[in-house]
Amino acid sequence: MQKFGAEYAEIRAQKLSKTMFTMKEGRVEAAKQGIENGVALRVLVGGAWGFASVGSLDSDALANAISDACAMAKAASHRLKSPIKLAETKVLEDHVRAKPKKKPSEISIEEKMETASLTNKVALSSDKRIKSCTIDYLDLTGTSYFANSDGSYIEQDKLYVWSRLTASALQSGVYTFSREEIGSTAGYEVFDQETPEVVGKRLAERAVRQLKAKPPRGGKFPVVLGPNVVGVFVHEAFGHLAEADIALSGGVLANILGQRIASEVVTFCDDGTVNGAFGSFKYDDEGVPAQKTFLVKDGVIAGLMHNRETARKFNAEPTGNARAEDFRTEPIIRMRNTYMVPGDRTLEELLEDAISGYYFKSFRGGQANLDGTFQVGVQEAYEIVKGEIGEPVRDASFSGNTLETLLKVHAAGKDFELWPGRCGKGQTAFICDGGPHISVSEVMVGGSA
Amino acid sequence: MVAVLEENAMLSLAENAVKAAVKRGAAEAEAFVYEGKATTVGIERGQITKSSRVIDRGVGVRVQVKKAIGFAYTNILDSQNAVEDIIAKALSAANASKPDPNWSSLPQRKPYAALKGTFDGEILALRSEDLVNVASKMLDAAAETDKRVFPIEGGAAAGYASNAVANSNGVSGFDQGTVVECSLATLAKEGNTVTPVCFEFNSERSYNVNPEWVGREAARLAVSALKTKRIETRNYTLVLTQFALQELLYYTLINAIKADNVERNQSPFKDKLGVKVGSEVLTIYDDGLLPGGLRTGAFDGEGVPHQKTLVMDKGVLRGFLYDSYTAKKTGKESTGNASRAGYLSTPTIEATNFHVLPGSKTPDELMSEVDDGLMVSFLQGAHSSNPVSGEFSIVATPAWKIRKGKIEHATRGVMLAGNIFELLKNVSAVANNERKMGQLVAPWLLVENVRVIGK
Repeated sequence: MQKFGAEYAEIRAQKLSKTMFTMKEGRVEAAKQGIENGVALRVLVGGAWGFASVGSLDSDALANAISDACAMAKAASHRLKSPIKLAETKVLEDHVRAKPKKKPSEISIEEKMETASLTNKVALSSDKRIKSCTIDYLDLTGTSYFANSDGSYIEQDKLYVWSRLTASALQSGVYTFSREEIGSTAGYEVFDQETPEVVGKRLAERAVRQLKAKPPRGGKFPVVLGPNVVGVFVHEAFGHLAEADIALSGGVLANILGQRIASEVVTFCDDGTVNGAFGSFKYDDEGVPAQKTFLVKDGVIAGLMHNRETARKFNAEPTGNARAEDFRTEPIIRMRNTYMVPGDRTLEELLEDAISGYYFKSFRGGQANLDGTFQVGVQEAYEIVKGEIGEPVRDASFSGNTLETLLKVHAAGKDFELWPGRCGKGQTAFICDGGPHISVSEVMVGGSA
Repeated sequence: MVAVLEENAMLSLAENAVKAAVKRGAAEAEAFVYEGKATTVGIERGQITKSSRVIDRGVGVRVQVKKAIGFAYTNILDSQNAVEDIIAKALSAANASKPDPNWSSLPQRKPYAALKGTFDGEILALRSEDLVNVASKMLDAAAETDKRVFPIEGGAAAGYASNAVANSNGVSGFDQGTVVECSLATLAKEGNTVTPVCFEFNSERSYNVNPEWVGREAARLAVSALKTKRIETRNYTLVLTQFALQELLYYTLINAIKADNVERNQSPFKDKLGVKVGSEVLTIYDDGLLPGGLRTGAFDGEGVPHQKTLVMDKGVLRGFLYDSYTAKKTGKESTGNASRAGYLSTPTIEATNFHVLPGSKTPDELMSEVDDGLMVSFLQGAHSSNPVSGEFSIVATPAWKIRKGKIEHATRGVMLAGNIFELLKNVSAVANNERKMGQLVAPWLLVENVRVIGK
C-alpha cells in the first residue's frame, strides 16, 4: 500500500456457507447450498475511497485488486474539495467464536425442511380460507477476517438463522396477506421458541382476521402502536435520519444535537450488543466494537450512528455501525437493534388515551425521506372505540413528519418486544427493532373510506 | 484491467458441470454460469469521493433425482474440486427432499434470436477516469442550474454481465450484455426549508448516456419542490410518471400476472383471462427482446428463449408469465420469464421488459386535459401495498398540483389510497413519452378519481 501512496487500507476476507430453501404449500422448490468466498479491499488515496471486490482468495487476484483499488481512488480524488479523513480507533486483535446451542451446520437439511413443513401444516390446516403459505429459510455460517493498516486483526464467526413466512387468505373475493419473520444470531435454537405451532398459528390467524376487516378512514387520528410497529417507526422514521451519513446529506437531525426533539417519554437506542439478536455482532466491518448507542434520551437528541469517516466530521467517537452485507459491498452506516425504551403504562391505559382512533399492531413495511416524511404500512390494525379495541381494519398506513410526530408521543407501555427484520440501503442488513406499546396523539392515516 | 471470461470458457464450464452431475447420478442437470463486472464512481454530498470495481463470478448447478430438486453454487471457479463439491451438495440436497409429482422436466433446446444493441465493448472498457468525467459533467450541470441545489448522492457506473446455461436436454447458450448508468439524487435548500429527495437517472445498453440532462433535471425537480402548499383531502386526477408507475406496478400488477401466483390463489386475475380488467387505453406486453431494453437478452434463467408476450390488450387480460415448471404443470409453454440472481439462485418468475404501449398524446397534451389534479413521481411505501389484493396506502412526496393544464405548485407528504386494480380501470389517457426504468418501459398515464389525503 505504501507503494501506491495510500493513507489507509483495509482488507476483509470471507468464507461463507449458506443453506436455503423456499417451500410453497409444503412443496420445496429446491433445497439449496452455497459457498461464497471472497475478498474486499478498501483504500484511501488522496482523500478518496477505492474499493475492489473479487470472489477469490488467490494471491495474484489480491495483488491486482490492491493496485486496482489504489488507481481507482486516485482517479476519484481528482476533483475532491474536502478529502476524507478517519477518526482514530483502538488497534485490536481478537478472535470471536460463535457458540450456538444448536449449530445450523450440524442440523440436517431434512430436519430444517421438516420444521418448515410442520409450520406450513399448522398454517394451512388452521382455517380452510388460508389458500397459500410460502416459507423461505436461510442459514449462513462462516468466518470473516479483517485487517487494516492501523494494525488491527479480527477474526469473527458469522452465524445467521432466518426465515420469512407469508400466507394469504381468500373469502368471497377478498384477499388478505400476512407476514412473519424469524431471525437470530444465536443458533438454530431460535426455533425452540418460534415453534411451528406458535408461528404457523400467528401467521394464519392474522390473514383470517383481516378477511372481515374494513378499510380505514383517511385523516388525522390518535393511535396506539404495538411494539412491532413502534420498532419500524423508530427504525424508519427516526433511525435512518440518525445515521450520520444521512444527517450530513441534508437530513433534519444534522444541526440539532442536544436539543429537545421529542416528548420526555421518548428514549431510543441502537444497540449491537443484545445477546443473540438478529442485528448483533462484536465488531463492525471497520473493526470498531459494537456498542449500545443512545440516539434520544428523555426526548433530547443524544447522538448519531457513525462510521470512522462521519465520526471524524462530527468530532465524535465511531459507534460500530459500519456494516457491509458481504465482500461484494463497502461498509456503510447501518442500524443494528434499534428500539424505544419502555415506560410504565399498561395497554389499557394507552387505549384510554386514544379514546377513538386506531390500534396498529403489526407492520408490513415502512420508508422515510430526508425531510422527515415517513410512511409505515400496517398489516394488522383495529379501530379503537371508547378506549377499547374494536373491529379489524385492513391495509392501513400512517404517515407524518418525524419531528412533529415525536413531540406527539404521549405515553409508553411497560412491555417490550424486539422483532427481527432486514433493512435495505443499497445492500441488505440483518437488524432488529422494537419497543413497548405507545400512544401518539395524532398521525395521518391513509385510508380510502 | 481485468479480462472477462470468454464464451468458450463459460460454456464449457456449464456443459462439463452438467456432464459430471449426470455421471454422478442426476436424472437431469442444469448449470448456470454467471460473470459480472461493475465499475462505479460515487458522489457523496456534492463531490466525487469514491470508485469501486466488483467482479463476481460463479456457477450454480440444479439437479433432479427421482423428481426431487437440489441446487448448489460456488464462486470458486478455478478448481475442479469446488465444482465437484457443489455437484455432490446439489445431489445430497435433492436426495434429502421429497419428490415433486408435478415436476416434468428441464426445458428443451430452442433457437435463440440474434440480438442487437445489448452489448457495447466501449462500456466494458470504461475506466474509473472515464466515469469520473461522466459524473463531473452531471455535477457541473446540476450546479449551473441552480445554486440552491445540493446533490446528496449518485454516480456513474459501467456494468457487464455474461451468462452461460446448459442442461442435460441439450440446452446450451451464452449471452453477454452491458449497461451504463448515471444518476443523481438531489435536494434543494433555502433558508430553513429543505425539500424531499428528488432523483433522476439515465441508463442505456450502449455508451450514449446524457449526464448533463440528468444533472439539470435532478436540479430542476428539487428547486421546483421548494415552495410548497398544502392541498385538500378529496379525489384528484393524477398524472403518474414512470417513477410512480414503476413502484406501484412492481408490487401489485406484475405480481398478479405471474402464473405461479395465479395458480396459488395469490392473484385477483385467476379465471380472468379474456376479461376486461383495465382501461381500453392500456395495452401491455412483456417483451424480453425489446430493442435496447434494460432486461433484454437472448434467453431466460433456464435457457428458454426470451419472447414478446401479450399481457393486456386494450384492457382485456390476455396472458400470464411462465417459467418452465409452472408452464409444464398447467399444460402451457414457458414464456421465457424464469429469472435468476446470477449463479446464486434457482429460477423464479419475473417480468422482463414490462412494456406499457405509448399513446399518441404529447406530455403537454396529456397535462392540458387536467383541470385540477396532481402530478406524482416519488412515492414512499409502495412496498407496503397488499401484494395480493392490490390495496395501497402510500406517501407521495414531493408531488405537484396541476391547475388548468399547468403545474401550479409543489406539495409534500400527501397520501394516496386505493386499489391498483381499480386504478387500472380508471386510466383515461396514455402519453407518448415512453422511457425505460428497470423492468418498466412506459409513458405517463392519466388516472381519474384517486383518493388523496392532504393536510
